[in-house]
Amino acid sequence: MTETEARAQRIGAPVLAVEEVSLTFGGVRALTEVSFDVREHEVRAIIGPNGAGKSSMLNVLNGFYQPQHGIIRFRGREFRGMKPHVAATMGIGRTFQNIALFRGMTVLDNIMVGRNLKMRGNLLQEAFWLPAARREEIEHRRAVEEIIDFLEIQHIRRTPVGQLPYGLQKRVELARALAMEPSVLLLDEPMAGMNLEEKQDMCRFVLDVNDHYGTTIVLIEHDMGVVMDISDRVVVLDYGSKIADGTPDQVRSDQAVIDAYLGVAH
Amino acid sequence: MHLLYSIFVDPFMQMGHAPDLLVQTLWDGLVSGVLYALIALGFVLIFKASGVFNFAQGIMVVFAALTLVGLNEHGVPAYVALALTVVVMLVLAVAVERAILRPLVNQPEIILFMATFGLTYVLIGLGELIFGGDPKVMISGELGLPSGSYRINMLGGYVQLQKIDIAAAIIASLMVAGLGIVFNRTRIGRALRAVADSHRAALSVGISLEQIWVVVWFAAGVVALATGIMWGARSNVSFALEIIALKALPVLILGGFTSIPGAIVGGLIIGVGEKMGEFYWGPLVGGGIESWFAYVIALVFLLFRPQGLFGERIIERL
Amino acid sequence: MAADIGALDTFPKLLLHHAKVRGARPAIREKDRGIWQTWTWTQLADEVRVLACGFADQGLKRGDHMALVGDNRPRIYAAMCAAQCLGAVPVPLYQDAVAAEMAFPIQNAEIALAVVEDQEQVDKLLEILPQCPTLKHIYYDNPRGLRHYAQPQLASYDRLREIGSEAAKRDPGFLEREIEKGAGDDPAAMFFTSGTTATPKGVVLTHHALIDRARAAAEMEGLTDRDVVIAYLPPAWIGQNIFSYAQPFATGYCICCPESAETLMTDMREIGPSYYFAPPRVLEALLTQVSIRMEDAGRFKRALYRHFMDVARRVGGAILDRKPVGMAQRLHYALGDLLVYGPLRNVLGMSRVRVAYTAGEAIGPDLFRFYRSIGINLKQLYGSTETSVFVCVQPNGQVKADTVGPAVRGVELKFTPQRELLIRSPGLFREYYKNPQATEQAKDAEGWFHTGDAGYLDADGHLKIIDRVKDVGRLDDRTLFAPKYLENKLKFFPYIKEAVAFGHARDRVCAFINIDMEAVGNWAEKRKLAYTGYVDLASRKEVRDLITQCVEQVNADLAADPELAGSQIHRFLLLHKELDADDGELTRTRKVRRGYIAERYASLVEALYAGKESVHVEAQVRYEDGRTGQISADLSICDARSFPPAAAREAA
Repeated sequence: MTETEARAQRIGAPVLAVEEVSLTFGGVRALTEVSFDVREHEVRAIIGPNGAGKSSMLNVLNGFYQPQHGIIRFRGREFRGMKPHVAATMGIGRTFQNIALFRGMTVLDNIMVGRNLKMRGNLLQEAFWLPAARREEIEHRRAVEEIIDFLEIQHIRRTPVGQLPYGLQKRVELARALAMEPSVLLLDEPMAGMNLEEKQDMCRFVLDVNDHYGTTIVLIEHDMGVVMDISDRVVVLDYGSKIADGTPDQVRSDQAVIDAYLGVAH
Repeated sequence: MHLLYSIFVDPFMQMGHAPDLLVQTLWDGLVSGVLYALIALGFVLIFKASGVFNFAQGIMVVFAALTLVGLNEHGVPAYVALALTVVVMLVLAVAVERAILRPLVNQPEIILFMATFGLTYVLIGLGELIFGGDPKVMISGELGLPSGSYRINMLGGYVQLQKIDIAAAIIASLMVAGLGIVFNRTRIGRALRAVADSHRAALSVGISLEQIWVVVWFAAGVVALATGIMWGARSNVSFALEIIALKALPVLILGGFTSIPGAIVGGLIIGVGEKMGEFYWGPLVGGGIESWFAYVIALVFLLFRPQGLFGERIIERL
Repeated sequence: MAADIGALDTFPKLLLHHAKVRGARPAIREKDRGIWQTWTWTQLADEVRVLACGFADQGLKRGDHMALVGDNRPRIYAAMCAAQCLGAVPVPLYQDAVAAEMAFPIQNAEIALAVVEDQEQVDKLLEILPQCPTLKHIYYDNPRGLRHYAQPQLASYDRLREIGSEAAKRDPGFLEREIEKGAGDDPAAMFFTSGTTATPKGVVLTHHALIDRARAAAEMEGLTDRDVVIAYLPPAWIGQNIFSYAQPFATGYCICCPESAETLMTDMREIGPSYYFAPPRVLEALLTQVSIRMEDAGRFKRALYRHFMDVARRVGGAILDRKPVGMAQRLHYALGDLLVYGPLRNVLGMSRVRVAYTAGEAIGPDLFRFYRSIGINLKQLYGSTETSVFVCVQPNGQVKADTVGPAVRGVELKFTPQRELLIRSPGLFREYYKNPQATEQAKDAEGWFHTGDAGYLDADGHLKIIDRVKDVGRLDDRTLFAPKYLENKLKFFPYIKEAVAFGHARDRVCAFINIDMEAVGNWAEKRKLAYTGYVDLASRKEVRDLITQCVEQVNADLAADPELAGSQIHRFLLLHKELDADDGELTRTRKVRRGYIAERYASLVEALYAGKESVHVEAQVRYEDGRTGQISADLSICDARSFPPAAAREAA
């Protein structure tokens, strides 16, 4: 059995879908009747030129934006609009294009915050550092250390994130999202602004996450190159509309996609 | 020449001649400093977590104290009244979150600031409507707070320490320690710090901003209640207190808007500074330094260290 | 000749011994998931038992070879001992070697079984699998990323343990019987020399040789089972093996494996090793870091540091050697210890270091004295893979910067007329594996090992090494030319990372220089000098001037030495790329391969001697991921002032 076959076997039924989602900001159309689905365990890319509405799509998925039309289906439930808190509780984690970290905290604390929803302890137990609270802290710390090991960031554990170089900050953000144990991970341009080596590292981590934790991955990129290698299926957006959807090979040879990327006038 | 002498030499000679008076002045300064610090603490909590500069913090102190005394006047036993007031502060926090923060989220800071301005007048009106506008006397005795004073002979004289002041210092320290523990050790504290750093990121990991806002406004309300009780015990409970609450502004400039240790140290410096100024340099200008000295210190800081003693460095990135 | 090492004459016997007498004491610690995890001697012995049974089940037999590829991990060392239990010979390979470099050892030793750390190593072995038909089993420690690998040769370490546990249950007495069969004269391990010459050679060392040398040095330094060592250099290097395997097995001390290379400094501070080894280049890198940090510090701190480092330079070494020093100076030094040296030792993670060694290549005297002056008992030793390391060691109180100390107990030294050092010692290797010709060349009939190093004994009987016999050259006017000596002097400057000197049979000395990216980058930033990368930085005039100053200072020093005054450096150029082991320019232990470099950059060497102002270069470079790329640049050639010899100056 080859690697690709092994992966293909793992990919399951759709878990997340958007149907005819439209989003406008004061009359400006960001998304127009976009529909696609994401299958369990797959790596799904949303690509498109700058301003195609990719980030808006992601913000709709995790509830930062409320679409004017359309519905979002997630794990058998139907939403007119998602709420960030609901999305997080249901297992949707995300990272941001221009890094959103807790700059004043250490790497460890940042990732620990990612455990927020998993923590059950009450304020008093925690404040008085009772055994129950201590046990819980240790349990979460163990989970966080697994992630630190996984993403190879042991050496910056105690470093305030504000002092880290860009590439590592991106990795810490990924770590924090992983700490939520999400079933679906939304990555907003995870490779943006990185050099080639960092991009390759990030690709490896994304694939490893998908493989090791079985996390379904939705990622956005405007650069076609890297994404094509690691995605199972690709949605292409242009001017807020879906222009193609399929395997990397299908998308690559699609005339509409080629035109969009070459900037053919509409 | 004489002027220079009376500014730079004479006050220090006085300090040397009567060290007991110096200690007394320092103590008095520290005690009012503790109260400034508490008010500033309320500001910092809210500013850190929601980025809102809460103009109403001062009036919350009065409102809390007024509620407590008012309830007691209406026949509610002191401790029950205290518990009820805590509940009122919680209700206030929830109301503020629902009526102000949630609808105005993502609005410019100035809008939120103006909203707290409005809140100030709502609270004043509400207080007067329910409890009347007359100054009231704090129910310190009923709450079991000590009265009277210790007289300590020292340094060739004596120093007088009000028991209520000692109690105030202890309660304030406990409160700060408690907040520190909650902030640094608990899940909610970690979430609070997270929200202070990035709303988006906090939302993405499932932290509920609404919950955090209620928590900080409630915490600020409890701090306000404690401040109100202690201040009320030294003077009267009336809306005049609000003027003194404005002293928190220079304290914040001194300590930095986002730093809890800053609020405390800033409060103590301002408290001690103005008492010392009043006592030793006041006669030079005919007294009254106390009312403006804090603002002068703040002005000096604004010129030379705008981020305050403990604030995050303000770096304009190009 | 063979000294008696007693009944505990193999590593497996030593392991059982430690498990019996100090079973609850720590044998190996590893920082994992942020916590130091401890393996006691009993736990290590249990692990070894399971593994050995597993290996036996998988067909590993007495006399077979087994490969180990990975960083310092308890499991790698456990596997090493498990192989030895069965009488098999572990062959540790450099974990940073590229796949092609691993093929030869595996073919040469007909390796059938390998224990490797992770996916990276598995990938390399799979790549060379077609060339290595003997390789039948690969066990990996970390399963990360290997889930979908379906090659039949692959299995996890945990699977191996399962096999072993079952086998151990079937025959509980198996291991003890196998260990009993072992004898001190059996081969214990095989180390492939990094091969400055064509093909690597497998150096076969017996249990006897390794244990004898490990004990000789341990007795000399008074090592006990309370000592602690941090294991951070490649396990395939004999030195690392001595300090983190042979000596802990000989004395029962504990080794600590850091979490990763990046966390080494933090981990070392947490552990506080008492016994430490570092090659000069590591010590140099640490000092560079310290210097840079001090340059960034506030004015007061900088002044304090300078002042007390001056004091340390004057009296620190003498105090460490317990030589008489005036009371006032002692107090002054004590104050410095409180304010500077103590905190500095702490930052370096060396607060508890009792004995520290350096070796591998000559260490700059200033660098050496720096560590001694701040109270770290750094000493030099001399040895090689073929001698189980310990040949000469500087005894406490008899430490000189330019020698490597007298012979350790049991070692005989003599010299050929060409000043080549010959050694006879119980620690000598048995042979180069399947290479009788090379063995014969290196070890003569009387058992003398020809080191290839040139040197002599000084008046106190301390060995002084100048250079490799084959590298010591003469300029065309017969002036002595010791290239390594010059390169080391250059490399002592924090701005110079590597240097390669040329001059044999030439009229004068010229050099290639690699700038130190970190130090020069920092220097450039301070001067608001913008640059895009190494090539750009190295081509800046300001940088060339900086390096010219360094070279001229070296020349001034050389002028003071009558022997070497004639070998001052007249011209040099800053190379367009950093010398790299992956390009074959450095050995895996990061020594420059002068001959290869001269050949590869022949045009540059010619330009230096032809008196050209600049030279155009186009070169292929290999990136870390194995891709290759093209660099093209114009390199400026710089002239450096030289100085009249001191003797001549005095005459004038």
